[in-house]
Amino acid sequence: MPDPVKPDEAAEQVPLGQRLFDNVFLLLGLGLLVVFVLYTGWGLWEILTLPQATLP
Amino acid sequence: MTAPAATFRTCPVTTRRIHDQAESLVKINAVVSVVALLIGAIAAVLIVLTRWQAVHLLSATWFYRLLGVHGMSMLIFFIVFFEMAVLYFASTALINARLVAPKLAWFSFLLMLGGAVLVEAMMWGGKADVLFTSYVPLRASPAYYLGIILFAVGALIVTGIFFANLVVAKREKRYEGSLPLVVYGAVTAAIITVITLLHGAAIYIPTFLWSLGLMHVDPQVYRMVWWGLGHSSQQINVAAMVAIWYMLGGLTIGAVVLNEKISRSAFVLYVLFISMASAHHLLVDPGMGPAWKVVNTSYFMYMAVLASMIHGFTVPAGMELGMRLRGYTNGMFDWLRRAPWHDPGFSSLVLSVVVFGFVGGITGVTIGTEQINIIVHNTLRVPGHFHATVVSGTAMAFMGATYYLIPLVFQKRVAFWRMAQWQPYIFAGGMFIFTLSMTFAGSFGVPRRHWDITFSQAPFDVPFSPVVDLVLAVVAVGGLLAATGAFMFVAIAVASVFFGKPLGEITKGTAMVGVPQGITHPPVHAADVDARNAALHAPGRGIMGPAPGTIVLVFVFLAAFILYFFVNWKILSFVWKIG
Repeated sequence: MPDPVKPDEAAEQVPLGQRLFDNVFLLLGLGLLVVFVLYTGWGLWEILTLPQATLP
Repeated sequence: MTAPAATFRTCPVTTRRIHDQAESLVKINAVVSVVALLIGAIAAVLIVLTRWQAVHLLSATWFYRLLGVHGMSMLIFFIVFFEMAVLYFASTALINARLVAPKLAWFSFLLMLGGAVLVEAMMWGGKADVLFTSYVPLRASPAYYLGIILFAVGALIVTGIFFANLVVAKREKRYEGSLPLVVYGAVTAAIITVITLLHGAAIYIPTFLWSLGLMHVDPQVYRMVWWGLGHSSQQINVAAMVAIWYMLGGLTIGAVVLNEKISRSAFVLYVLFISMASAHHLLVDPGMGPAWKVVNTSYFMYMAVLASMIHGFTVPAGMELGMRLRGYTNGMFDWLRRAPWHDPGFSSLVLSVVVFGFVGGITGVTIGTEQINIIVHNTLRVPGHFHATVVSGTAMAFMGATYYLIPLVFQKRVAFWRMAQWQPYIFAGGMFIFTLSMTFAGSFGVPRRHWDITFSQAPFDVPFSPVVDLVLAVVAVGGLLAATGAFMFVAIAVASVFFGKPLGEITKGTAMVGVPQGITHPPVHAADVDARNAALHAPGRGIMGPAPGTIVLVFVFLAAFILYFFVNWKILSFVWKIG
């Protein structure tokens, strides 16, 4: 017969995916990271490294 | 340290504990939101009567001025104030928790209100004729930018309070395990709010300084960062709207969550990828390279599209399963036929899902394709798309939620009940005509944000097909019908909240005028619900599974999507001949 599950162990048995999804601040950090790197940061880099147009 | 004393009441319908301070903030934000809706709707009527070629009501100055008023009042003030109400409601009432910082919450409300009043005063006074986007180098009065900054700071504080409420609720063991799905949707909206407002701060503070002559702002940088605010703010709407879909489904017909993992995964996809859709607005800008454009609008943004399609399936499928578990099992669509179509909360939900998906979703993905965007950019197809998402989708969902908030939060009966039962159909019907005809006019190349497409007194001639005049008249008719629906909603909300009958005692099972059916007849699943659920999920049901009606509707949607997408490629091949 298996040992009864203790409350702490029950908490540990929450699947990793669920724990990640439940971590609101992790999601906040990832959300900020993705958009500020791929949209804002990359976009700024594109604009600021644009060569000056040569006048005719 | 002990928690400050808080006063609660217990909702007689849902039995949830409601913190009085949170409830007051839900009320005041909802009321201000409706006032903003009224201002935006008045501007909308005058604008459509100007774009109706035969009427052409306003002067050019007032057309552009009111276009700015309409955009700010609707896209920012109406929507964001309502979202603040959603954040307070979700982080307190839905998890039996308290508002952790009432004084700060009221301070942030005053900041938002002060900012909104300042912006409206500047726009109506002709000090900010720069449209919603206020593209640099168009220059408004510094007070206009200051108003937006105040509003944004207030909203950012509310978002912080929302997260604090969740932390304290967890610590005080107000809920066990994961947050309820509706609250999870609100978390998604709150995270996107942070993304949005940080972009807002990053661009409006420099622009405010620029308006004072203190610094330079590059127009291309402005466009890129501003759309991190402008488009992402509409993605807050999407997340809040989907959360309300799940809530209304449960309240009105006992919808179930088909699969928690799938629905939550879709919300996480929103968190990670939906804000990148801002790049759609820059698809024809010369400053950005193709790799940046394609990555942001295709590869990653399609993850957010996938999320919307998941919700577009799980919401109706959860409704179907909920109805089948209540005993409505005949045929493919008996569950839909027997649904409470006279409940404005339910009809708003269905109309929101349908128009958002079929019109807003399909047109959005199609015109967000870089190649197709070249024939769409700055035409009426763009507002045709976003009126289907933000107005037919979000505003319709918010209206449906209001029909339940009036009895549950304001504890009043819904006034003009018969009119309330018709309102969603009139509003959605008008918007359906409006968005489709706008899209049609845009397909003829009719520009958006344009006072006079006849180009009178111009040294050049831009001829449009004669059918354009007729289509623009249909746009106006649809717009006026939708505005009528909006005015009906405002009248119902104001009469209910300020002059409405108290809710009184609710007798379950007895219909009451002014009380939605989901409250008087709470949906209850059949006694043998587990056996029914097992039978509906039996492997023998094959690919159609427990929700066959929804599967059929999904294939109708996909067929429409494929047809519209490839028709656009065909149109592109006509105007952009290669070889």
